[in-house]
Amino acid sequence: MSSFGVVLLLHGLALAASTAQPLPGIAIERRLADRYRLAVGDTVRLTPAADRPAARYLVEAIYQPKADPATALRGEYQIRFHLPELSRLLGAADRVDRIAVLGRPGIPADSTAFRLNQPAFGYRAYPSERIASESSRTFAVVSRFHRAIGVISIVASAVFLLCIMLLKVEERRLDAAVMRMIGISRATVFRAFVLEATLVAAVGSGLGVGLAAVAGALTNWVYRRRFETSLVFSHLSPDIVAFGVGLSLVLGVAVGALAARRLVTARPLALWRRAG
Amino acid sequence: MTWALVVRSLFRHPVRTALVVAGIAVAAALLLDMVMLSGGMERSFSRMLLSRGFQIRLSPKGTLPFDTEAMIPAITPILDDLRADPDVERVGPVLATSLHVRVGDSLLTLVGYGVDPAGQGLYELEAGADLVPGDSTGLLVSEPAAAAAGWQIGDTIRLQGRLDPQSARAEAERVVTVRGVVRFLYDARGQRSVGADFRVMQRLGRFPDADPASMVMVKVRADDRVDSVAARIARTHRTVEVNSVAALVVQFRSRLVYFQQLSLILATISLVVGVLLVGTILTITVSERIGEFAVLRGIGVRRARVVRLVMAEGAVLTAAGAIGGVILGLATARYLDAILTSFPGLPAAISFFVPERTAIAKAAVAVFVAGVAASGYPAWLAARAPIAETLRADAE
Amino acid sequence: MTVVLGQDLTKVYSLNGRQVAALRGVSLTIAAGEYLAITGPSGSGKSTLLQLLGGLDSPTGGRLELMGRRVEGLSDDELTDLRLRQVGFIFQRFHLMSVLTARENVELPLAEAGVGRRERSERAAELLAYVGLADRADHRATQLSGGEMQRVAIARALANRPALILADEPTGELDAATGAQILELFDRLHQDGVTLVVVTHDEHLAARVPRRVHLLDGRIDRDELATAR
Ligand SMILES: Nc1ncnc2c1ncn2[C@@H]1O[C@H](COP(=O)(O)OP(=O)(O)OP(=O)(O)O)[C@@H](O)[C@H]1O
Ligand SMILES: [Mg+2]
Repeated sequence: MSSFGVVLLLHGLALAASTAQPLPGIAIERRLADRYRLAVGDTVRLTPAADRPAARYLVEAIYQPKADPATALRGEYQIRFHLPELSRLLGAADRVDRIAVLGRPGIPADSTAFRLNQPAFGYRAYPSERIASESSRTFAVVSRFHRAIGVISIVASAVFLLCIMLLKVEERRLDAAVMRMIGISRATVFRAFVLEATLVAAVGSGLGVGLAAVAGALTNWVYRRRFETSLVFSHLSPDIVAFGVGLSLVLGVAVGALAARRLVTARPLALWRRAG
Repeated sequence: MTWALVVRSLFRHPVRTALVVAGIAVAAALLLDMVMLSGGMERSFSRMLLSRGFQIRLSPKGTLPFDTEAMIPAITPILDDLRADPDVERVGPVLATSLHVRVGDSLLTLVGYGVDPAGQGLYELEAGADLVPGDSTGLLVSEPAAAAAGWQIGDTIRLQGRLDPQSARAEAERVVTVRGVVRFLYDARGQRSVGADFRVMQRLGRFPDADPASMVMVKVRADDRVDSVAARIARTHRTVEVNSVAALVVQFRSRLVYFQQLSLILATISLVVGVLLVGTILTITVSERIGEFAVLRGIGVRRARVVRLVMAEGAVLTAAGAIGGVILGLATARYLDAILTSFPGLPAAISFFVPERTAIAKAAVAVFVAGVAASGYPAWLAARAPIAETLRADAE
Repeated sequence: MTVVLGQDLTKVYSLNGRQVAALRGVSLTIAAGEYLAITGPSGSGKSTLLQLLGGLDSPTGGRLELMGRRVEGLSDDELTDLRLRQVGFIFQRFHLMSVLTARENVELPLAEAGVGRRERSERAAELLAYVGLADRADHRATQLSGGEMQRVAIARALANRPALILADEPTGELDAATGAQILELFDRLHQDGVTLVVVTHDEHLAARVPRRVHLLDGRIDRDELATAR
């Protein structure tokens, strides 16, 4: 399967059909076919290195590999050969990178791997489960990293939100002074400002969710094109929406209440003076 | 006078100012981390590869060094040929195989490296003595291996090689003496490795007939000859893959494109957040104090000075934020680095966040410039206010 | 010497497309050392005239010379410099920089004019003593009473030894007693040879000023010299 280092040389889409001898067949992945406008029945010339002789192959099939985050971002193209053909092309006779072994039912993979490793010469056997857990460990690391970055971003946006809400209420200093002076009670003024802060926070988080959806869609669009894969890069789950909206509402209302409290507990005249 | 005005104006709303500085600090920290991330791993990778000055790697055809367990067969003629090249200063073959040693009643598995003591680019000596050429009974051990097996320098050990495929017996055994503790440059954290003479390791691994090597490191005398030497080796030895460190770094980069993009996006976002913070806060503060600016203009303060006053406020805010951001960023970088370096199998020498002076300077300057630029609009607002009209409105 | 020479000054504000003529042809000459009160009903254009005289705003029509210099056509920086060195403003609501101390408020125009630190603080101390506030020099503006703030504002207006002091209802925010103190200060300024223009509703103030200009609906209605005090 690994065709690492195979450089693809394209021969025009010429009519190789006329040649008498049947060419060895290969299967190429869809992205490669799209990139070079290849179709089943075309002939390609492949060489393992630019200065090595090329061999001709017949495209027998085009396939769609399973989307795999481990390989998607490398941007390499895959070609499937019959094993002897690839060995011949690479000049590495009788060599493989990996062998998959299916044990008889009932025999634990661990013990088979252990037995295979006993006389091991030039290979090492691992139970598939271990390989899977190794590669999932990789993703666990990445997702821990993402979570850490997420926490930093949340802190940054929380501070931003605090600032804005504080200003939003302080802006109303003069209004608070006037309302208090014409005899409206503290509680009423306080309630009015907290209500206003809540509304602002609610509208803001609504807009934020919309913006996030657009940004996520854009990210997916860009990266899917960039890496020609069907992987999902950005996923806006209900949990995340709930968390974001909840956090901004709580912070917004809390700061709004705090600032409003400061406004209503001050003497109206002091407010007036500071507003001037 | 200007500074008194600027600083005291900022202290007029201490909570607000503190929040803004904190916000800028977090944004700057994120920016710094992303600047470090974008170049850090590549640099630490290349630094690791070049740490002993070997600029070229030979690996089995179609693989990268240590990518698979494949080996280059018949290495001796290749080594002889490389050593004969006048441009080549040193040649370091490496053979990696697995070894076993009995500790109590359990069998400890080790990674064994065969090296040529005259030209090794694989380890740094930490304690004890290095191997000397021709030392066929000496052993170098990594710290984790020594700790796991309880070895001291001078201990004598019975190493078991791989089992012979024909006889299925561990007939390759060798008694060796621990000469020194070394740090293998490409080992993952906690990897238990030992090093011995290249030929000793070939025999222990039971490969003498194939005469294999896992990798060959080549040190070229002059840096500007690296590419041409690599090309020449590739031409003459068709069975090996030849890569200069620079080429390996390029391959590495393509595998890490994700982190590059992530860091670019997040760096942009944090800059935008910083700009928005400074811009909004100053705009609001300025409009609150627009009357003061009109008075200043009224008593004869020039427009340019008013602009400078407001921009100086932005500069003080962002400078304070940037300083906080550098401290915060370095702290979070260590934490983030600890997360990412726990990637399984990653060499311990790789870091993702390298706190380099240029990275720190870049991030701090970027935040500062962005912040000052963001204060441009409020500064313009303050300077442009029509004096008479503003004073009249302010008096109402 | 003529400090102000205004000929047929007009000022038209446009407010949402509607034109408001605040001044409809005012001609006024003020000689150095004169003490002049501008009176008139609310909306008659007093503040507008004062703003034109001080270079805070420019006339829509007519011709204005300050210290023998044409004001129309000056660049913003030139006008600013004129306000800094030739004109001192005193506002109804004092308009001190609230974060600065009394001394710093007085030093501000000096610093802007490029006066050195030493000379600046000496001059500020001198001016604060002149207005009777030597002991409050290091108090923030917000820690002063209204009358004290107005005296700091007067010291600030005098800082660069301007040829002309303009005051727009300087006693409007003060009680009678405090206002009287300010008026005494103005008298002293007048005796010391400062050219002084004061806009006022205050009959007491107007009565003690040698020359009174009465505006009505954007025009000069009366311009009278008090023959006796
Ligand atoms: N910026 C402006 N825009 C529109 N109209 C204005 C503006 N400034 C002043 N006016 C108008 O010009 C006229 C004169 O105003 P001005 O302030 O000069 O009067 P005033 O004599 O100082 O009144 P007061 O005694 O109430 O201070 C008024 O009708 C006022 O509404
Ligand atoms: Mg007025």
